[in-house]
Amino acid sequence: MIIYDFLYNLVFSITQSAVAGDITAMVISALLPLFILVLPFALLAVWLERKVSAHMQDRLGPMRTGSHGWLQTVADVIKLLQKEDIVAAANDRTLFNIAPILVFAGSYLVFAALPFSSAYIGSNIDLGLIFIIAASGFVVAGILMAGWSSNNKYSLLGAMRSAAQIISYEIPTILVILTIIMITGTTNLRTLSEMQTGYFWNWMIFGGAGFSLSKFLFIPFMLIGFVTLFISTLAEVNRTPFDIPEAESELVSGYHTEYSGMKFAMFFMAEYANMFAVSAIVSAIFLGGYQSPFGYLGNTFGLHWLIPIEQFLWFASKGVFFVLVQMWLRWTLPRLRVDQLMALCWKYLIPIAFVNLIIIGLITVL
Amino acid sequence: MSIYDIIFYLFAAITLISAFFVVTIRNIVYSAFFLLFTFFGVAGIYVILGADFVAMVQLIIYVGGIVILMLFGVMLTNKITSVAIKTGTSQIVPAAIGVGMFAGILTATLVNSHWRKVDTAPLLPTTQSLGLMLISEYGIIFELLGIILLIALIGAASLARK
Amino acid sequence: MKEYFQNIWYGFATILTGMRVTFKHLFVPAVTIQYPDVKLQLPERERNRLYVNMDDCIGCDQCARACPVDCISIETVKSIPGEDLGKTSNGKKKALWVTKFDIDIAKCCFCQLCVFPCPTECIYMTDVYEFSEFERNKLVYDFVTLTPVEREEKKANYAKLEAEKAALKAAGTPPAKPSEKVGD
Repeated sequence: MIIYDFLYNLVFSITQSAVAGDITAMVISALLPLFILVLPFALLAVWLERKVSAHMQDRLGPMRTGSHGWLQTVADVIKLLQKEDIVAAANDRTLFNIAPILVFAGSYLVFAALPFSSAYIGSNIDLGLIFIIAASGFVVAGILMAGWSSNNKYSLLGAMRSAAQIISYEIPTILVILTIIMITGTTNLRTLSEMQTGYFWNWMIFGGAGFSLSKFLFIPFMLIGFVTLFISTLAEVNRTPFDIPEAESELVSGYHTEYSGMKFAMFFMAEYANMFAVSAIVSAIFLGGYQSPFGYLGNTFGLHWLIPIEQFLWFASKGVFFVLVQMWLRWTLPRLRVDQLMALCWKYLIPIAFVNLIIIGLITVL
Repeated sequence: MSIYDIIFYLFAAITLISAFFVVTIRNIVYSAFFLLFTFFGVAGIYVILGADFVAMVQLIIYVGGIVILMLFGVMLTNKITSVAIKTGTSQIVPAAIGVGMFAGILTATLVNSHWRKVDTAPLLPTTQSLGLMLISEYGIIFELLGIILLIALIGAASLARK
Repeated sequence: MKEYFQNIWYGFATILTGMRVTFKHLFVPAVTIQYPDVKLQLPERERNRLYVNMDDCIGCDQCARACPVDCISIETVKSIPGEDLGKTSNGKKKALWVTKFDIDIAKCCFCQLCVFPCPTECIYMTDVYEFSEFERNKLVYDFVTLTPVEREEKKANYAKLEAEKAALKAAGTPPAKPSEKVGD
């Protein structure tokens, strides 16, 4: 919002036009997270993924581009930019071209509501949590679009699996989010983060702020909710062990089999952006969002401008931590079968989330 | 003309154009995807009207649920591109009467209803009041709707088991 | 019901065990060898590029005959009397100028059959294995130490000697005295 106002005033002073000021400020502040966060994060995450997987398999991974290969993704992106943009004759050209944009837009929409720090939230809307769930609908539509327009059995199967999986796992996600809404009475992510201020025992996973009997009663159910949410969001971003939509051994690479060059890069970036978004949501809900677990250096030294920066760093590091856990899981677990996937969702996660919801509701009433 | 006017016309254009294509285009997958954009445009208009919760629910249920289910259904049919959808004119007289009556009712409502014109009022979050209303004032209707949905669910499940 | 919770517990326990294993492996030193920077120690009797020590070669052509793929081609010229070609390292006297000793390493099958017949052990396998080229004819190695001019000279000398011999034979005179120096 500070950035928005600054840009607005800047353009307004030049053009004397409120509309021009609004449009410029909106466009720039909307693109800001893309260039300062999503792109660098995607570059970092792809590199991290390769290094983490390599070291978990006693390999080294990329080593020759830059120190320990940190420029490898940059090189890959440059390569992808140069590649020919192939549209096969049998593809449905229009939908084929729109699909990656829709998928990326869907995963980028989430970033509008993420509370990066108390000073920077793309849009501090009151329905942040619900907005995040709503935005994932575009990803599903985009994936289906990509799968269908590719005119390829692997793509279509991958897209169908992905859509079925995302829709199924949205239910436990929403149920867990509902329990949180029940306790806190807010869907605003900033308010939610502010509620968990102070020290780490004020985080939702430890029952939220305040010292009462209900806080201690919450703790085990919060842990269950946390694990449920983590598993179901993991399934929503199609990561291993839930990566059956792009199961390499059966479906080549699922819905983006036919894509090449920059369109493929958009799918790839959307996947990594989604990974971060999901981790950020989990940490915003349960682990205090941008709140520091031990208080702020800015408060200790009396430098108040330092606090938002610290908060951003905490938020980013919590996000990256969960991304690392996702990678860790990816290189630990084999892929689930389709029936196992559905069994996990409908027989385990949803009943557990429901029972959790009811119990937490009862505790809240007490 | 402020920025909100521009956004409103943008969403209105998205809604109208994609709705037009939903009806006219011959490829049913395209229709379904255009329906997605129609719902998205409607959600945008809800946001501009200050109905944030309705907009979000519109996105979750229509964009994230119903369109996806329709796409599933469409993709599972084997004829997609060459479906004979009647876009020609048949039964002109009854259709004209029906459309005329509907248009008349709509215009009558448009002209006669008292539109609340709020120019500068801040857009307040509606979720809490909406929730309270659903639980207190419209409690019974809410419960009944829930029961209807549950019955539909059980019915669908029992049909699928046969 | 009991089985249901057991399943959950079992799932978690096994996942955590697996995660512990992968986490441990995160700190196991990598087995990767950074090839161009670090090279594996080759075994003692590795067979790679051939090398010919021309100081020891007597031009006996045995290696070329042993080669199953005919990748070695040797031409020799007899020395004319009075030339001292020196000795090989194991004491054999050299009698032939080797004017051509080409090994087409692109053909070589690394069978090492050329190495054993050599009486002076001048042809052997080295540990050099990075010798890729963009053009195939660059893989034909020329081991002769003489310059092209010298090679022509030696051939010409021998031809001259032969011609002189033939001339002398024709004239019926005895051959030239061995002390006579011809060429250098």
